[in-house]
Amino acid sequence: MLEIKNLHTKIAGTGMEILRGLNLTIQNTEIAAVMGPNGSGKSTLSHVIAGRKGYEITAGDILYNGQSILAMDAAERAALGIFLAFQYPMEISGIATMEFLKVAINLQRRARGKSELQVPEFIRRVKEAVEKLEMDMSMLRRPLNVGFSGGEKKRTEILQMMMLEPHCCILDETDSGLDIDALKIVADGINTLRTVDCSFLVITHYQRLLDYIIPDTVHVLYKGKIIKSGDRSLAFYLENNGYSDIISKAV
Amino acid sequence: MPVAPETIRQVREIDVDQYRYGFETKIETEKAPKGLSEDIVRYISRFKEEPEWMLQWRLKAYRRWLNMNEPRWARLRYPKISFQDYYYYAAPKNKDQKGPKSLAEVDSVLLETYEKLGIPLREQEILAGVHQQNEQGRVAVDAVFDSVSIITTFKEELARSNVIFCSISEAIREHPGLVKEYIGSVVPMTDNFYSTLNSAVFTDGSFVYIPKGVRCPMELSTYFRINERNTGQFERTLIIADEGAYVSYLEGCTAPQRDENQLHAAVVELVALKNAEIKYSTVQNWYPGDKEGKGGIYNFVTKRGDCRGENSRISWTQVETGSAITWKYPSCLLRGDYSCGEFYSIAVSNGYQQIDSGTKMIHLGKKTSSRIISKGISSGFSSNTYRGQVTVHRNAANARNFTRCDSLLIGHDCGAHTIPYVEAKNCTAQLEHEATTSRISEDQLFYVMQRGLPEEEAIALIVNGFVKEVIQKLPMEFAVEAQKLIGISLEGSIG
Amino acid sequence: MAILILLAKPSEEVLRVSVFKKKSLTQAETEIIENFSALEKRGRQIIAASKVAMAFFLKHGLPSRKMEDWHYTDLRTQLNRVAPYSSEADGRSVAPLIPDNIVLSTVNGKALSAPLVSPLCGASFTPLDTLTPDRKATLPQRLSAENMIAQLNTAFFHDGWKVDVFEDVSLDKIIEIQNIQNGAQSHVCFPVSAEKNSNVTVIERQIGDDQDSFLSSVSHLDLAEDARVLWIIIRRRGISSTELNQFNARLNKNACLKLYVMNIGLGLLRQEINIDLNGNHADFQLRSINLLSGKSHIDTTMTVRHLARATTSKEIMRNVVTDSACGVFQGAIRVARVAQKVNAQMVCNSLILSENAEFDAKPELEIFADDVTCGHGATVTSIDYDHLFYLMARGIPESQARSMLIKAFVSELVEELNRKEIEDLLQMNVEQWLQMHI
Repeated sequence: MLEIKNLHTKIAGTGMEILRGLNLTIQNTEIAAVMGPNGSGKSTLSHVIAGRKGYEITAGDILYNGQSILAMDAAERAALGIFLAFQYPMEISGIATMEFLKVAINLQRRARGKSELQVPEFIRRVKEAVEKLEMDMSMLRRPLNVGFSGGEKKRTEILQMMMLEPHCCILDETDSGLDIDALKIVADGINTLRTVDCSFLVITHYQRLLDYIIPDTVHVLYKGKIIKSGDRSLAFYLENNGYSDIISKAV
Repeated sequence: MPVAPETIRQVREIDVDQYRYGFETKIETEKAPKGLSEDIVRYISRFKEEPEWMLQWRLKAYRRWLNMNEPRWARLRYPKISFQDYYYYAAPKNKDQKGPKSLAEVDSVLLETYEKLGIPLREQEILAGVHQQNEQGRVAVDAVFDSVSIITTFKEELARSNVIFCSISEAIREHPGLVKEYIGSVVPMTDNFYSTLNSAVFTDGSFVYIPKGVRCPMELSTYFRINERNTGQFERTLIIADEGAYVSYLEGCTAPQRDENQLHAAVVELVALKNAEIKYSTVQNWYPGDKEGKGGIYNFVTKRGDCRGENSRISWTQVETGSAITWKYPSCLLRGDYSCGEFYSIAVSNGYQQIDSGTKMIHLGKKTSSRIISKGISSGFSSNTYRGQVTVHRNAANARNFTRCDSLLIGHDCGAHTIPYVEAKNCTAQLEHEATTSRISEDQLFYVMQRGLPEEEAIALIVNGFVKEVIQKLPMEFAVEAQKLIGISLEGSIG
Repeated sequence: MAILILLAKPSEEVLRVSVFKKKSLTQAETEIIENFSALEKRGRQIIAASKVAMAFFLKHGLPSRKMEDWHYTDLRTQLNRVAPYSSEADGRSVAPLIPDNIVLSTVNGKALSAPLVSPLCGASFTPLDTLTPDRKATLPQRLSAENMIAQLNTAFFHDGWKVDVFEDVSLDKIIEIQNIQNGAQSHVCFPVSAEKNSNVTVIERQIGDDQDSFLSSVSHLDLAEDARVLWIIIRRRGISSTELNQFNARLNKNACLKLYVMNIGLGLLRQEINIDLNGNHADFQLRSINLLSGKSHIDTTMTVRHLARATTSKEIMRNVVTDSACGVFQGAIRVARVAQKVNAQMVCNSLILSENAEFDAKPELEIFADDVTCGHGATVTSIDYDHLFYLMARGIPESQARSMLIKAFVSELVEELNRKEIEDLLQMNVEQWLQMHI
């Protein structure tokens, strides 16, 4: 599904190299967790996959279903089914959340050769997702993320994820800023998508999210490289022992 | 830093007469004839034994000045200045015209004067207020009395690091190459009415050259004193930081209490080459005039820094509490790519003072950035205007500016004004300007008073909080001084 | 006074020699003077006030950047010529924006016949042309060196509409003022008074095509105690137009004025807004949207004077500048010593979208009262890339994401109107512009 090969990335205009030969493969319906200490390149990884400008790819490739996506912009990648749940969702005043959802869904459907969603069907789906996430419909009339609490923003991200029918979801520290109840709800939302054809890249600092979203593989990112991969037990190991001895073994 | 109690104590100590520096030094002086003419310009140049090119430069400026008009756009009201009523040159009489070589040769009356002002000329001392004896605490001082520099301290020690620190007169004689290359290169000879006047008749001031890669080993400082009656002081300061150099420079000033208005029109030019950094701090405490608004200094100053090289940095910090009229806009020309300009200002006005001050940040290079923090406090019958310009030129891609100006009004009869000019000619510019005007919040005041502080001290405390952001930018020695000054300036502003 | 005598018998030669001693006349100045002397020849009766105003103009000429108020709009260099008067006097009004509106039209500087409204509706509408010279002379004016628009408008105007909304009347229909100028030159004036406790909505439409045109338009609005006015200016003029516009309002106790301004396209525009908050608790709100493209130069210069206690004002400007257009905002909030407890806020946000676009802002505060809360903010930026990325990451193509963000940027102001029918009108204008230029 997603194949990252020897990826080297610099911040454009500076010499700063963030990703230094990163290799990672995610299979269909796989849930891969990427963990790592601060500054290891986790957010850069999510940005680069989703196609944010401002990074320079100096070597390597990203393949999605076998096809390189490096030349595509963020919207084209989204249309392919790549979804990024932002660590810090943008507040954009002047665009109502509901309106935004509708525009995004229909543009993606059009790009995928599907017909536009009729309004009643759209509303039905929104309601369903809103209920699942224990949100309030009235929130969707407010401008996108403006004045939302940290938890509300993260829920809105998951709502968008459920509505946009992605095939590959990148969750960038989705657990940060969530209390335990909200975390469960969000994880539930994510788990409903597991039933369909969808794989996940879960970027997180802490093990606790992985109690609710059980990963198939766990990878440790350090200084722009995956230094260790394993199964779920690796996450437990990190929880108990920290990163230091894995890092020292790898270096 | 236990600053607030310090201010409060200071406020408590002051008499009705708030201006501590109003005394006059009785000393015999030598003056040029009153008034302004080509002959006076020649007189000054001759007296200073200047080379011919300097005289020609002055004369050119003078002739140009004759055809210029006084700027009237500032929010300042004052009677027409009669330029013929001033003395353009006054100096303490000295046998040796080139001035004393060492402290021992300086007239003891002058030494007493500076002692009284709290300016240490003896090299083992540092600025009054903080008596530390460590390395960091040392300050080299250039003391300018009326039209001449009377002494520059620590010269030998600075020379060991190849730093040149001397009066501009001396620099014209000893380092003509450097002066010729840089003078007028930041503030052109005929830049504006007052700077042109200065170009014609400037008498003294400081000259600093920090060579490549040198971090100046101590703070440099100039202390300006206008003593003579009816004298204009026209100093000119030129600071050059060569590639990779660093210098922090302080400037202080006072004048005796007099009924008439004295004139001060200075020009300061800073040049920062590649990777160089200049920090320029001013505590301006010229005589502000009396309670009725009589007397005080007219302060018309042109200060400009040129970030000429890549990655250079110039930072202006000013605490303005004195002068009857202040017209002053320390600016930065951000020419080098990645260069950075900063302006931090506290302007306090009381009595009938009028301040029109601010800055200009001219972005010319790529990825240049600037930051402006201005805090204005007005009380009494004063008028306090912030005027600042931020311009991003066509080629200045990715320029950034952040500006914040806050004004505080104390009392019913003063005015606080904010006039920013934000000009963007490049679509990658990111400019942000914020301003607020308010008075001290009653809730805050009540809270502090409820904890047992009398009103005046409570206000001092709150004002301290208001200006803290800028005070922190001052070198340690000056921060304490400045804090005291603000307290003193606002004395009597309640009720 | 000598000048007035000269004007009684205007001879171009004399005028030119007598006045501009220091500087030479620009082409536009010459044409304005010639136009004035031609007015009488064309049999127009010129009132004394007009002559006084012309005397001012003769003394000061067109403003240049040396004048602080005109620093960013230098008419001495930017106004190259003045479109001539046209002999075609008639024209037609255009369809009202909302079918029920009471339409007051001026076409080519001339008021069209009065609308068919029952005199019992609670308001009166009078073409200025029908007023006696005495009553015309009492129209408010503030002549001064900087106030070139008042000089020019007072010197040349002869028509327009006078509107009175009577005491306690809440007019349910919208008054739609149409000032239509297709090419040529005109000078109109709209004195409007909203009497005690009245409530009215006015749409001022400034419309014109792409021909060379030159016009001045001045509106004077008087709000008596407790009056409430919503005034919307929608301007769509062609690329060769020059418009000098002034909107003056005085607000008495508890009066409330909401002014919406939407400028689209255009050639050269100077829009002055002068608001005096004379009565306690008066409130002024301005929302202004400027969409600049091509070579437009739009200068909004506003002065809000808080002259009474507890008066409030809030001004929000949103500007989008593309191509090689130039936008200017000079806003001054002035708080007088007596005006305690004032709350005044001013914000000017601009988006610059192209390399040659320019925006200059000068938001000014002048405050003499100590118990006030005043603030202003100004930002000039390009589209925030993080926002753009967020939308694109949701599958919205870049160009569409851009226009969504721009629309969001200005729509916020429109939505504050809370009048669906007018909101839709304004949104439609925004969308049309976005389609053409983004």
